[in-house]
Amino acid sequence: MEKYTLIITEKPDAAQRIAQALDHKGKPKKIEEKGVPYFLAHRDRKLVVVPALGHLYTVVHERGGRNYYPVFSFKWAPRYVAERDAEQTRKWIEVISKLAGNAEGFIDSCDYDLEGSLIGYCILRYACENKESVAKRMKFSTLTKSELEKAYEEPLSQLDFALIEAGKTRHEVDWLYGVNLSRALTLAAKRWSGRYATLSTGRVQGPTLRFLVSRETEIRCFVPTPYWSIRAEVEIRGSTYEVEYERKKINRKIEADAVVEECRGKTGEVKCIDVKKFQQAPPTPFDLGSLQTEAYGLFKYTPRQTGNIAERLYLEALISYPRTSSQKLPPVINYKAILSALSKEAVYKDLASELLEREELKPNEGKKEDPAHPAVYPTGNLPERALSEPEKRVWDLIVRRFMAVFGEPAVKQSMRANIEVNGHHFYLRGRRVLKEGWTRFYKPYIRTEEVLLPPIKEGETILLRKVIVEDKFTNPPPRYNPGSLLKKMEEEEIGTKATRADIIETLYGRRYITEERILVTDLGFDVVEVLRKYCPGVISVKLTRDLEEKMEQIQRNSEKRENVLVEAVERLKPMLEELKKKEETIGQALSEAIKRARMQERIIGTCPSCGTGELMILYSRKTKKRFIGCTNYFKGLCETSFPLPQRGTVKPARRNCRACGWPIVQVRMRARRPWMLCFNPDCPRKEPRS
Amino acid sequence: MTCKICNREAVGKYCELHERAYRNIVKKYDVWGSALNLSWEEYLNDVAKNPYTGSWAREVAEHLTKSGVAEGHESN
Repeated sequence: MEKYTLIITEKPDAAQRIAQALDHKGKPKKIEEKGVPYFLAHRDRKLVVVPALGHLYTVVHERGGRNYYPVFSFKWAPRYVAERDAEQTRKWIEVISKLAGNAEGFIDSCDYDLEGSLIGYCILRYACENKESVAKRMKFSTLTKSELEKAYEEPLSQLDFALIEAGKTRHEVDWLYGVNLSRALTLAAKRWSGRYATLSTGRVQGPTLRFLVSRETEIRCFVPTPYWSIRAEVEIRGSTYEVEYERKKINRKIEADAVVEECRGKTGEVKCIDVKKFQQAPPTPFDLGSLQTEAYGLFKYTPRQTGNIAERLYLEALISYPRTSSQKLPPVINYKAILSALSKEAVYKDLASELLEREELKPNEGKKEDPAHPAVYPTGNLPERALSEPEKRVWDLIVRRFMAVFGEPAVKQSMRANIEVNGHHFYLRGRRVLKEGWTRFYKPYIRTEEVLLPPIKEGETILLRKVIVEDKFTNPPPRYNPGSLLKKMEEEEIGTKATRADIIETLYGRRYITEERILVTDLGFDVVEVLRKYCPGVISVKLTRDLEEKMEQIQRNSEKRENVLVEAVERLKPMLEELKKKEETIGQALSEAIKRARMQERIIGTCPSCGTGELMILYSRKTKKRFIGCTNYFKGLCETSFPLPQRGTVKPARRNCRACGWPIVQVRMRARRPWMLCFNPDCPRKEPRS
Repeated sequence: MTCKICNREAVGKYCELHERAYRNIVKKYDVWGSALNLSWEEYLNDVAKNPYTGSWAREVAEHLTKSGVAEGHESN
């Protein structure tokens, strides 16, 4: 059989694109074995391009079951050994092993980052039987033909072993923390209540939940403070303008009333007009975090959704590798070629052409760097298929941001007229754009509202038409949302660009948090409380940041994996001993929190009959049927109840019926679209399906 | 001992979380008092009704109103 070079990629889409780029006719042959696709391509030699399915190997405990801790001995093994839903990885490993048997050369072309390097390494080491030392490495940031060809012709002579060591350490440390602490919590609750519920925490999950708990505590303990503000309007040449009083907050009502008394019906004099011109620099190129934050702000896509969309765009060679923390765009990516290609798309034609006319293109780069990849940028390729709406939006955002970073600063002007009325100062403010600069390129995503002032002169007399006192209260701090939480994690330097979005989703999955404007559940509170009491290190930002730093040192070859692992175990041991000692107390606290959380999930809303009880999904002990009942029934105060469908699942919809205002429930049945049910028998119209 | 409001473990009358809300209520009374010249009972009533008041602070204000406790006498 003819020998070949085996090229390993991270995902099937990437394999197809790489095979297409490297095949001299651009038409590689697709073969499927046991449902695993791979591609035959011909170039200077025969090439077999085989994809992985993300991670095919993972960290597992060396021996023993799942129902004990601590566990400090581990090994790397196929994912199907450790995870029930990873059975398909068995076939992938079998096919790759078979293909490796006839290969004479090996190239790792997984994504060039921590995870990608580890995926490639594990396959070469375990599935291909110790080929990691002879394999070459393709390094690229886009899946465009030209870059892939270059990466193939000029591969790195060996794998990036420092990056692999850092990746291995991260997985191993996270496994040690995650498995031991999650087991400690889950087993404590199970042993107390006899019921199983998955509880988890980890090196990054713990501190992230702590941020949320600390914000939630502030909000729930918040006591507003009253203050007063003055609202006033002036009349200038027949038009009315709102003006600001010199003090935004007045702490005593009596003082606010005095201001109104002294200014009502009076005229004022324009004392001075300050005009300031200022520049607004272009934005910096997107790294993954800033892309996710921007997409959440503009489209409300969660960080994970944006990450997935960006990955699809990358696999279609429309954008560069998105899992980057770089805010730099090196000239080697060829700005002009990208703009020139983008100008073929009608909507970008004028803007791209404008940039192309310039002699020099210099992006406004940010500070953050990534040794493996530049910032996210469009490749210049245009979509080969109709993109979905979210894909279109994210691609457009990336394209426009790319153009905007080359734009000139926007020039704006702010004006402030100081009007004195009986010794009090009021400000009339205006702003306008003198030069749009980069904002032209980023227009749909940036709003610039101009407030034009009438022509006024210093010394002019102006009538104060209206002046009133407004009662106000200070507001609690805002809740985090998935976008702002991701930003906070970045600022605190916990987690990685690849894991942050998943950690947020895990917190939702574990029912520690709920809602888009994040609310911490009782369970979330109690988990943090238990960790704070018995192993505060787990929720310490410092500890997790120290470990991140150590892993970066491994990547720079200035720290050893073994040292970091020993340190992690030494830190974990006393925590786990403490947890074990207090298992009963912890189990009770967590079990009660789980019970409360389960009860909370069944509450539908306030009872419309008694107004004080809460409607809840209940189960009849006698008939075993479910229904809606009022919690005041147990106090003998309210007998309100409503029937519910007995098939499928029913859960509170957390909103009210548009017709009658009663709370509604969502019903899900197999093979049917979920629908909203208003259980009010007298509802003027039933809630339509949504 | 358990919290008078939520049954969590308490050192005095309240759990750690409700105690924190209680301390906030006491601390803010001076500001409210000087701004609006309110009695302790009137203040508690206003805090309990205010839409910006946090849920634990509201629970503490309602509990204090019901139990008729004077300012500074509830602390753990």
